[in-house]
Amino acid sequence: MEKFHALIIGGGGTGGALAHDLALRGLQVTLVERGEVTSGTTGRHHGLLHAGGRYAVKDKESAIECIEENLILKKTMPGSFEHNDGLFVALSDENVEYSHLFIESCEECGIPTKRLTREEALRLEPNLSPETKMAVQIPDASMDAMRLALRWFATAKHNGAQIKTYTEVISILKQGNTVTGARVTDHTSGQEYEIGADIVINAAGPWSGQIADMVGVEVPIKPSPGVMLAVRGRLCNMVINRLAPSGDGDIIVPQRGLSVVGTTSWVVEDPDNLGLPKDHVQKMYDEGGKLIPLVKEAPFRAAWAAARPLIGPRKAEADTGRELSRTFKCFDHIDEGVEGFVTITGGKATTARGMAEATADVVCQKLGIDASCRTREEICLPHTAYYD
Amino acid sequence: MQEAGSMPDTVRPKRPLKSWFDVRHRKVGTWAFALNRLTGIGLSLYLIIHLVILSLLLQGEQGWNDFVTLVKSPFFLTLDVILLFGFLFHGLNGVRVGLVGMGIGVDNQRTLFWVLMAVGIVLLLAGAWLIFTL
Amino acid sequence: MMAEQQVQFKVLRYKQGQASPTFQTFNLTVNEDTTVLVALQDIRRDQDPTLILRHSCHHASCGTCGMKINGQEQLSCVVKALDLGTQTVMVEPLDNLPLISDLVVDMNGFYDRYTTPEMMYLRESEFLTEADLPEGIEKWLRFENCVECGCCVSACPIAGSDAEYLGPAALAAAWRVVAEPRESNPQEALEWVDNEHGCWRCHAAFECSEVCPSDVDPAGAIMSLRGELTRRKFRRLFGRR
Repeated sequence: MEKFHALIIGGGGTGGALAHDLALRGLQVTLVERGEVTSGTTGRHHGLLHAGGRYAVKDKESAIECIEENLILKKTMPGSFEHNDGLFVALSDENVEYSHLFIESCEECGIPTKRLTREEALRLEPNLSPETKMAVQIPDASMDAMRLALRWFATAKHNGAQIKTYTEVISILKQGNTVTGARVTDHTSGQEYEIGADIVINAAGPWSGQIADMVGVEVPIKPSPGVMLAVRGRLCNMVINRLAPSGDGDIIVPQRGLSVVGTTSWVVEDPDNLGLPKDHVQKMYDEGGKLIPLVKEAPFRAAWAAARPLIGPRKAEADTGRELSRTFKCFDHIDEGVEGFVTITGGKATTARGMAEATADVVCQKLGIDASCRTREEICLPHTAYYD
Repeated sequence: MQEAGSMPDTVRPKRPLKSWFDVRHRKVGTWAFALNRLTGIGLSLYLIIHLVILSLLLQGEQGWNDFVTLVKSPFFLTLDVILLFGFLFHGLNGVRVGLVGMGIGVDNQRTLFWVLMAVGIVLLLAGAWLIFTL
Repeated sequence: MMAEQQVQFKVLRYKQGQASPTFQTFNLTVNEDTTVLVALQDIRRDQDPTLILRHSCHHASCGTCGMKINGQEQLSCVVKALDLGTQTVMVEPLDNLPLISDLVVDMNGFYDRYTTPEMMYLRESEFLTEADLPEGIEKWLRFENCVECGCCVSACPIAGSDAEYLGPAALAAAWRVVAEPRESNPQEALEWVDNEHGCWRCHAAFECSEVCPSDVDPAGAIMSLRGELTRRKFRRLFGRR
């Protein structure tokens, strides 16, 4: 039986999860990534496995996706999460008031919650601000951003997928209105060559607009960076969130011996030029310090920016990026008269597998392949298997 | 899958001497390691030379007396001090390596090094004085 | 307005097929917050898109951006260019690992050894032990410190001369299995390191622990392995006491 060949552009979590899904469905998969895997946005996120609490009130679609994926990932990637749960902490009367809507919304989305008193919260997390009034416990977890995604790459590789890193797309090959592959440079040698495929999938995250430009289709991607701060010292064991609508610096994630405070939001044109606004870094100290005062004196480890791939109108205005949805979208560019080219973008690290499933469904339907998704059950190989 | 330990780095072949003795940007532990190797080689060479010298005894009294005059010269006395340094460093650092190798003083290995070197310097100065005055 | 300065980056370049690596110099304007990683990314973006390097998390958690900066093994994401205090910053790939291209080294061999003792990546957290556990949580978990960066292997003088030496990272991993077995078998780990290319090959340079960016202390782990093996040998020699 002839195997259909899928070429995936982009080696982030989305590309990795998609390579994993398509390999399991029996396709021949080649993935090209211009750098190291997860060197775009995926590696840089603060390592939070969302339970969906942050989206329950305003973005129920995202919240439901999150809690579903949260459980699937814990099952398919055992040993990759610090199962310490998370707290949404109320620091003001306004926050306490918000807790009712918050808990209600979580319940509507299927996110388990537990209301905690001030004393209970402080016994679980002694470094919390004395201003703490109450808290809500939800099943957040910490993950290693890169190594989690690496498990998809490892499993895909072992199932026959070719992962070509340091391989950059120069142009997309077309025959008439059909995309037939890509011309690439292998940066380890400088050699250029062509890869033919039955379908090309654009999974380049914040760069997916640039790839779409090569094809002449529009992908409404708005790279939206945020700043994160890592300080030395594991100041909490659970993920700590502010019990309020999404705002800057309202989350602290423990990572090994560090505490990561995030994040902010602004919009850029070029995902390779994010900058690092100093006032945003200071804001992390200030806002993080409101949740856990020790953050303010903790020694600095790193400050960095990462671009969310937000879907929205590309040419239109969007102030900060926060108002754009965090859900994902799969574009079949046949809508624009281009065959053989699909884009998957938007989303977040927690939902990468779900994004891949939706995309793989579209891809298989286009190619006439009758194969269902197995990634909800398939246990992934350990990340070290990537290096076999 | 390649066998562990059999990966050739064809563009950067292994250079053991550089690996052992290029101590730029390295900390005191590596300096101690490199000097231990150097003094170890030096002392081994000295041992061979010493045995060769002893064979001069076979040449009889005159040959031996000529040799003794030579080695009492300031130049050779200085070499003796260098030899003493090699002996003291290798011995005292060796004590440190032996201790940490058994798990003793691992967390204080830098301090241990300097303490032993301080002992060594005292002994070296005393020894040098004796070498030049006796 | 942040103070900006011109810095010269001397980067070792290599492409497959070249005879040997050569240095290439780039001039770049940096500010007090610019890390060497961001500088290299800017160089890639604006001056030479063929420059390749490994990076991912940008905060010392993934270990992929390990390289030699001014001769010292460091994670480039946490080294600020101006903190180095030199007009020229020398950037080279890690030693003792095969070079693929530019600053990218082949980690396959590293992982061959690292995974041998069948280790776990999660353990019980030693932080905030006085805290209560939340409902539904059995114990506080955390990832091991080791971020698999390879800096220790690069800095080790023995790894530079003995291709079969297990190396500080793998030995530290073996010690972690012995110290907190969880579901692994400490006896297997001890047997694996008990040979002339294992924990006995170390000659106490301690450079591995000096360069480790993540408080793993591989040297301490190696000495602990020796201590444990010695104790077990004594016990066997003198019968159980």
